[in-house]
Amino acid sequence: MKKATYVAILFFYVGILSLVAHEEACKKPNITNKSSGILFYYDQSEGALMMDDTSKDDKIALGDLLPQEINGWQATGKDEIYDSQTIFDYIDGAGEVYRSYNFKQLLARRFKKEGKPDIVADLFDMGSSGDAFGVFTHDLEGEDARIGQGSTYNGGLLSFWKDRFFVSLYSEEETEETRKALFALGEKVASSIKKEGKKPDIVSLLPSENLAEKSAHYFHNHLILNYHFYVSDENILLLDQQTEAALGIYREDNERSYILAVRYPEGQKASQAYESFMQSYMPDATELGLVQTEDLKWTAARLYQDFVIIVFNAPSRFSATGTIEKVEDRIGQI
Amino acid sequence: MKKRAITRRDFLRVAAMSPFAGAFAYGYRIQEKKEPTRRVKVVLIRDKNALISFKKPNPDVVQKMLDDSITTLLGEADPINAWKKLVKPSDIVGIKSNVWRPIPTTSEVEQALKARIMNAGVAEENIGIDDRGVRRNPIFKNATVIINARPARTHHWSGMGGCIKNPIMFVPWPPAYHGDSCADLATLWYKHNLKERTKLNVLLMLNPQFHGIGPHNYSDKYVWEYKGILVSQDPVAVDAIGVRILQAKRREYFGEERPLQPPAKHVYLADTRHNLGVSDLDKIELIKLGWKAGILI
Repeated sequence: MKKATYVAILFFYVGILSLVAHEEACKKPNITNKSSGILFYYDQSEGALMMDDTSKDDKIALGDLLPQEINGWQATGKDEIYDSQTIFDYIDGAGEVYRSYNFKQLLARRFKKEGKPDIVADLFDMGSSGDAFGVFTHDLEGEDARIGQGSTYNGGLLSFWKDRFFVSLYSEEETEETRKALFALGEKVASSIKKEGKKPDIVSLLPSENLAEKSAHYFHNHLILNYHFYVSDENILLLDQQTEAALGIYREDNERSYILAVRYPEGQKASQAYESFMQSYMPDATELGLVQTEDLKWTAARLYQDFVIIVFNAPSRFSATGTIEKVEDRIGQI
Repeated sequence: MKKRAITRRDFLRVAAMSPFAGAFAYGYRIQEKKEPTRRVKVVLIRDKNALISFKKPNPDVVQKMLDDSITTLLGEADPINAWKKLVKPSDIVGIKSNVWRPIPTTSEVEQALKARIMNAGVAEENIGIDDRGVRRNPIFKNATVIINARPARTHHWSGMGGCIKNPIMFVPWPPAYHGDSCADLATLWYKHNLKERTKLNVLLMLNPQFHGIGPHNYSDKYVWEYKGILVSQDPVAVDAIGVRILQAKRREYFGEERPLQPPAKHVYLADTRHNLGVSDLDKIELIKLGWKAGILI
């Protein structure tokens, strides 16, 4: 038998053993583990599904953060666990948003109360507080619910972030009763997350003057950039899961402008990204990295250390360059 | 030769010249304003009594709406004769439905379609209704005709869930189509031999969703009772009209231009890149029947 055949058989049996171990891990009552079986293991000592990449001190069983009952709504069925490979089985294409923020694990629990709309709790372990904050900023519409480290309530959806967790609590129909239950559930979950996390410092580069309410977004890749502000079908800023970006939307006199700050892992990558952007987006720019676009607004771009800073849709050339300088000043402070 | 990136500035250039800015960079073709030789027909029918209650269609009204729209689409006075242009008694017919929990196709619509397919002579045992099980369903495996019916809604990753996207369950691994915001969804129609087999596309606008929030991308707050149905034999044309209505509703609701997030570029690329159908409104003949209040198009 050829060596390759032995190797294939070995992998086959290792795979079978892994699956058996994985199935055993899923025998804990009330958990259906729909994760791909790569990232998670069952911690016998703590009796819960744990993440492999979390230090011992940080190990938290997601299910323990959620109550079994809230305002008469009872947890029903099995909790479901998803990872970045299986999340599409649960929320279809929306899973790409969470994958864009490097999400690690999702626990979903459904609550029922007779004659009332179901409540669905989705608890995302994002792996870092930066990404928990980031995915929260993806969808900021709504009133401030004052829960966790940042929250919104809108149309039967309460979402917030705290520590490395992003929490979405959703009622299938919105009533006054479901609203009260969602807020009570949110308070409970937030209080069971003991630690607080740090916001990514790049967000503080965005000047606060004229920054529209709830319009500062933090992300990594160009798909999310295009979601909030379409720049190009190609990844001309060379964004990836290692880059950090902050986008602010500014409103002044019914006009919108946008400030984008991107931090690259190293200066050379930033330089390449700047060149790529200038070539694709503003080949007609002046030496100052400034151009008046077809809508008679101004776009300015600058490379500064390991950052690329861009202002889109500025009302004047002075506004564009002045804003870039403000961001540069702030870089020195972080 | 390296492909040139299409940027926002291309959009700004096109938008300055084209009234249909939504098509912007994806087609990246400035359409000439001459009358096309052949136009694709799309019928929009609305009835203010289409819903019994929120999300609950009136089966009799829905049947009549489908009859009236399909006879108009196919130029036949009688609905059964119209259906005989789509199916023959020897056909095996799969009604590709959509079971998405907040806004499904609904049994009222499914049964209205099934009734007319049977009236046209197809045996009941040769008609299947399915969504997520189409790959395992023997009817769909052997279907000679597909009827594609689903509600219109905004979608977190493709911009819009419509008739082009509906057959995604024929694909073994749907996320394989997520690249570049589902830009190339149209290719699945060729890979699964759907272009020829799909004889009718029904985009339900009874209670469409014009905005999505949260992981489940849904709130009742962003659904409205439009009480309409769009039908066409062209899946791209029917979606192109659907996108326009959703965008118009967003403009009305938010009080400002709020493009779909992300843009539903797969609709335009289905035309300009993949030739699945027609997205250019100048090449679509939109026939409007019934209730006109709040029509938005």
